[in-house]
Amino acid sequence: MSSSQLIKKFDTDFTNEVIEYGSKFFEDVENVRSCIQCATCTGSCPSGRETAWRVRKLIRQVQLGLKNAAIKNDVIWDCTTCFSCQERCPRLIPVTDVVRTVRNIAVRNGIMLPRHVQVAGLLIKYGHAVPINDETKAVRKEIGLSELPPTVHSFPDALGEVKKLLDGTGFTKLIEEASKGVQK
Amino acid sequence: MSDNKRGRIGVFVCHCGHNIAGVVDVQAVIDEISKLPDVYCVDHVYMCSKSGLNLIKEKVAEEKLDKVVIAACTPKLHEKLFQKTLEEAGLNRYLLSQANIREQCSWVHKANPRKATLKAIDLTKMAVAKARLLQEQGKVEVPVEKAVLVVGGGVAGITAALNLADLGHKVYLVEREPSIGGHMAMLDKVFPTRDCSICILGPLMVEVGRHPNIELITYAEVTKASGWIGNFEVEITKHPRFIKEDECTGCGVCAEFCPVEVPSEFDQNLGTRKAVYLPFPQAVPLVYTIDPEHCIGCRACEAVCEREAVDLSQKEEKIKVKVGAILIATGYETFNPAEKRNLGYGVFKNVVTALELERMLSPSGPTMGEVVRPSDGVTPKRIVFVQCVGSRDESVGRTYCSRVCCTYAVKQALELKERIPGAEVYIFYQDMRTFGKGFEELYREALRERVRFVRGLVSKVVEDGKTRNLIVRAEDTLLGVPVEAEADLVVLSVGMVPSKGTERLLFVLNVPVSEEGFVMEAHPKLRPVETQIPGIFVAGCAQGPKDIQDSVAQANAAASKISALLSRGVVELEPYVPIVDGEVCIRCGLCVAACDKDVLKLDKERGVEVKGVGCVGCGACAGACPTGAIQISLLSDEMIRAQIDAVLEEKKEYPLVVGFLCNWCAYNAADMAGVAKIQYPTNMRAIWVPCTGRVNPLLILEALEKGADGVLVLGCYPQDCHYRTGFDKAKRRVESLRELLRVAGIDPRRVRIESMAASEGKKLAVVVKEFVEELKKLPVLGGELVRVAEARR
Repeated sequence: MSSSQLIKKFDTDFTNEVIEYGSKFFEDVENVRSCIQCATCTGSCPSGRETAWRVRKLIRQVQLGLKNAAIKNDVIWDCTTCFSCQERCPRLIPVTDVVRTVRNIAVRNGIMLPRHVQVAGLLIKYGHAVPINDETKAVRKEIGLSELPPTVHSFPDALGEVKKLLDGTGFTKLIEEASKGVQK
Repeated sequence: MSDNKRGRIGVFVCHCGHNIAGVVDVQAVIDEISKLPDVYCVDHVYMCSKSGLNLIKEKVAEEKLDKVVIAACTPKLHEKLFQKTLEEAGLNRYLLSQANIREQCSWVHKANPRKATLKAIDLTKMAVAKARLLQEQGKVEVPVEKAVLVVGGGVAGITAALNLADLGHKVYLVEREPSIGGHMAMLDKVFPTRDCSICILGPLMVEVGRHPNIELITYAEVTKASGWIGNFEVEITKHPRFIKEDECTGCGVCAEFCPVEVPSEFDQNLGTRKAVYLPFPQAVPLVYTIDPEHCIGCRACEAVCEREAVDLSQKEEKIKVKVGAILIATGYETFNPAEKRNLGYGVFKNVVTALELERMLSPSGPTMGEVVRPSDGVTPKRIVFVQCVGSRDESVGRTYCSRVCCTYAVKQALELKERIPGAEVYIFYQDMRTFGKGFEELYREALRERVRFVRGLVSKVVEDGKTRNLIVRAEDTLLGVPVEAEADLVVLSVGMVPSKGTERLLFVLNVPVSEEGFVMEAHPKLRPVETQIPGIFVAGCAQGPKDIQDSVAQANAAASKISALLSRGVVELEPYVPIVDGEVCIRCGLCVAACDKDVLKLDKERGVEVKGVGCVGCGACAGACPTGAIQISLLSDEMIRAQIDAVLEEKKEYPLVVGFLCNWCAYNAADMAGVAKIQYPTNMRAIWVPCTGRVNPLLILEALEKGADGVLVLGCYPQDCHYRTGFDKAKRRVESLRELLRVAGIDPRRVRIESMAASEGKKLAVVVKEFVEELKKLPVLGGELVRVAEARR
């Protein structure tokens, strides 16, 4: 990609989207505009030491409005949300909250990692992100507990209610579409 | 309105290029103002330009104008210039009234040109209304005390003191520490030339010590001040040093025998000194000091001093001086890096500040010029500099750049390279700002000498417990790679913060400061060495972070300004005289009680009388008077009332707010909002007052009665009040008024009093916005007034 092409992709809409959407959940998201790329964030990042995740670059992409570059890059899921960057940012940018906001926008655009789609599928089906298996059942029995915990596993009606909630919020549909993408 | 008697008023509306005309429809203002019967109105692109000023002079003659209104920028900028123009046109300078349609209008209402234009019309009408009542004032000239007080004996204070003394002025130089020299005396080499700091400062210090026109008062602080430009009375408290200054020769035998060793402040606690000490060998005056905090009273010093200079009975001394001007040169302190816990200062021994390194580099320092690791005294081989510690960092409340750290780090890196063969030096930075003359060349030299620059701030320093080496973590942003460097020594490039001494002094002198705590200049570009208090000047880092070159330049500028004042011999004061109408005065004495300056006297027969000079024009008397019998010449009740009427005869906004803005804080805050282009609603019409204490509650009531939806009284923080108690008085009056309003059935939320600093443009904008929002939620005031009237019946 030549640099002139890149500049054409600059789009303040995405910057505004991150600030507006993020501000529904977090404080001071608009501070993202004053980032000067000092890199205290990446320097603090325990994930970045092991992976290709550069939180500073995400902030840059948000500032420049590079939406696709930001949300389509799998590395945004490598953040462990430890908040070290947010804790130390000299410009008081809620860095981790910006990461979480961008992830939310990615998901709303149907962009998820296959393993997340998988886990979400389990939640929809069983009401548990990690449903019980035979092994756990055996252990529970061995230590004197009921085979199934007192959750939706024991109350099928309640599972129905969970499903209703997930349908109502549009979660089920989102995951269905995403899983089509994963299959592709 | 008897126009014929009052004559014609010329209204000059300035475009200020696009600054005003880009938002305000100047022609509409002219059309509207021209409708006034006694007015001649004309515009100009730049009223402050030569042709603009000539236009004023021409029109005064041609149109036979008696008074002049200028609708332009804030009067704080060009009032003096326009006053002078009036004089050149043959008018008394006090026949000028200004409408601030730039800072208070076009700059802060960009998104709403229509309403901004309406507001500009109102502001101009208010100025015209005030102008109608203006009267000629005589000149008040007082002699200037031919002496100056310089507070702070760093390089700025020293430079200014010598300059002034050479010009023949008497200088009192007050220094808090036992010796003059300031931070510059602590430095080894100075950039960009890398010459020895004390070698260039030392001779100047000596000269200060022996200059016949300089009275050096060290180990002392300014504790009280009163008076005004040309005539300040200052109390200096000199701490006892328990050594007779006239007797001590600085031989140092006392220190040799003193058994007490404590960390040396001058050496940044890296070395030690005795309880009787000289902070450094080149100290001026060359006089020892006994530190009472650590002295155990063994009197060994007394026994060995041949000159019998030790005097343990010395007491604190109060020195009173009279001066015509005061220079604040109180310098800075370095940022305390312990506030940045991720950097390990104070926890890991081998993390030091740049000033500590500077003391190590100094041949007369605690290590005699050897750079060593504090943990084991070993010479470090790999040294990492951490930039921007306490600068550009909102997380510690320091938003500004300290301007010297980039270049001093480069200088220190070069020193280390030279003194430690094979040393590796890294500088972790976010931007290299080597902006001054010769600085970039130094940066280039450092690159050539293989100092390694890494673009990325240090996020964390951790210690290897065994080796006491440090692991520095950061990202090299130019590579996009997280990096770790193992260092023997980490140097924190700490920024500059206002010194605690400055803070106290500013409180004593009542000088406004910026948000960061540095002294605010009268104008950031055009009047950089004057403070907002006439007769008080500033130089060096008390005004903001700067290097030695800039400090010296500023000190020279301040000296020249002060010299001009002292040489003139007289100073013109604003004609502040209270005027009492004996017929109206009911002899209640409230004004006498309100006056802090003891200018008024109550005579049961004749009413209140003005005795002598000393009035500072705060107007607290007029603010207290229940009958309007006492007035101040610069702003009478009638002038305030005329402005209120001018706005409310045709209400152009809903809700409409009348604001009373104190000259010292709130008015400046509004100007700051203008300069910073902080946008806020157009609803307020501001009336300038010398102090909120001037605001008579009856005038607030009048504004409401005539149709204002709310009244804002905006002044200083109580402790910053230029007249000490003005804001407190205003606060009490407004609080009582609100209670009265509540009882009368008028929502007290319609009147609000707020404090703000001169630098708080943002706060002013927020206060106005919130007030307008609140007023919008209230029912219209008319209903309340009708109910009050009905209840009265």
